[in-house]
Amino acid sequence: MERNESLLPVAKFIAEYAAHMMGSGVHTSRVKRSSKRIGKAFNTDIKLNVSQKTIVISATHNETGETYSEVVDIPVLPISFEHNAELSALSWETYDQHLSLEEVRQKYNEIVSAPKMDPMFVLILVGLANASFCRLFGGDWLSMGIVLSATITGMFLRQRMQANHINHYVVFAVSAFVASLCASTSLIFDTTSEIALATSVLYLIPGVPLINGIIDIVEGETLIGCSRLISAFLLIICIAIGMSFTLMLVKNSLI
Amino acid sequence: MILVDILLDGLFAAVAGVGFGAISDPPLRAFRYIALLAAVGHACRFCLMTYLGWDIATSSLFGSLTIGFGSLWLGKKVFCPMTVLYIPALLPMVPGKFAYNMIFSLIMFLQTMDDPQEKMKYMSMFFSNTIVTTTVISLLAAGATLPHFIFSKRAFSLTRRKPGEEE
Repeated sequence: MERNESLLPVAKFIAEYAAHMMGSGVHTSRVKRSSKRIGKAFNTDIKLNVSQKTIVISATHNETGETYSEVVDIPVLPISFEHNAELSALSWETYDQHLSLEEVRQKYNEIVSAPKMDPMFVLILVGLANASFCRLFGGDWLSMGIVLSATITGMFLRQRMQANHINHYVVFAVSAFVASLCASTSLIFDTTSEIALATSVLYLIPGVPLINGIIDIVEGETLIGCSRLISAFLLIICIAIGMSFTLMLVKNSLI
Repeated sequence: MILVDILLDGLFAAVAGVGFGAISDPPLRAFRYIALLAAVGHACRFCLMTYLGWDIATSSLFGSLTIGFGSLWLGKKVFCPMTVLYIPALLPMVPGKFAYNMIFSLIMFLQTMDDPQEKMKYMSMFFSNTIVTTTVISLLAAGATLPHFIFSKRAFSLTRRKPGEEE
């Protein structure tokens, strides 16, 4: 168990590791557990205080009693379950296989820089997903087709805007408006147009922060859980704003 | 015919789960289990609501409990934390229709302020839809998290490869 690593590089690494995990949308108790586990492997006691934008980390060496603390910023990253799974596995690997800090850091860099899924592939999957969702709510085949094309249009726009680093509230409102406007073409046809309109924006719902927020609250991390829920709620309001523009335009044919 | 309905429901839920999950970049090896869990969970809720006539909140709780325990069991096979499997699987159960009606009635309420009868109609519609949406989402997350508390030791070590065991 005992490895002769000095405290500073270990603490620096764990700070970066924890901040990356929080940024990729991992719930708080897992971040704390995994960081403490890596710390334990290097004979260091790790304590974390996590908030929405920063982490305060305090690392104490078990033998020397030397303590190091730092405040790290949580980077804004896209949500990634892959990083969640691989970084959690890395913490166990460090603990079980007695890796040195260099090996751990090398593996960490490999995981973090691994290529992501092709955006075109994601686009098609999301389109199909939203079309099936429309079916689950009782939409017919025509509505499914309309939702498929509306979702692909909206999602494409969202990906392009996110690549250009446009403010994410704007991204959500505009994509919701465009997707629901496309879906409102269903009003021309004799179909389940209300369901088509309702489902067309659902690919935007921030499901991960919503569920993570509730998990955090249930596990006793009430503050960070509430912050997550509030930020998810703001995004939902943006979706509502985007969709309400469409509804204002077409509401006379809806009632 | 009942069986076909259940299977179709599961199939569409599986596609929805995988597609919405894909936005959040899950590991490729987890995809088939996400699909399986989404199908089983949603089909479970569908059966409870359609054939037993339960309400949406209770049925969602049971659906999410199924998904939660399923992810605890399957997580070990693919070395994925429970959340990686159950969050995408829960997404098809988010009550989108109610969320939409919530927004729709809010807008209509603001538009019909001058007509007391219409105003009351949309206000009650807004409240009932809001209550359903928030209750269902909270129960979904709480139900899937429950196995964490009961089997915490297993839940915390899903990504652990046995010491000495090589990949």
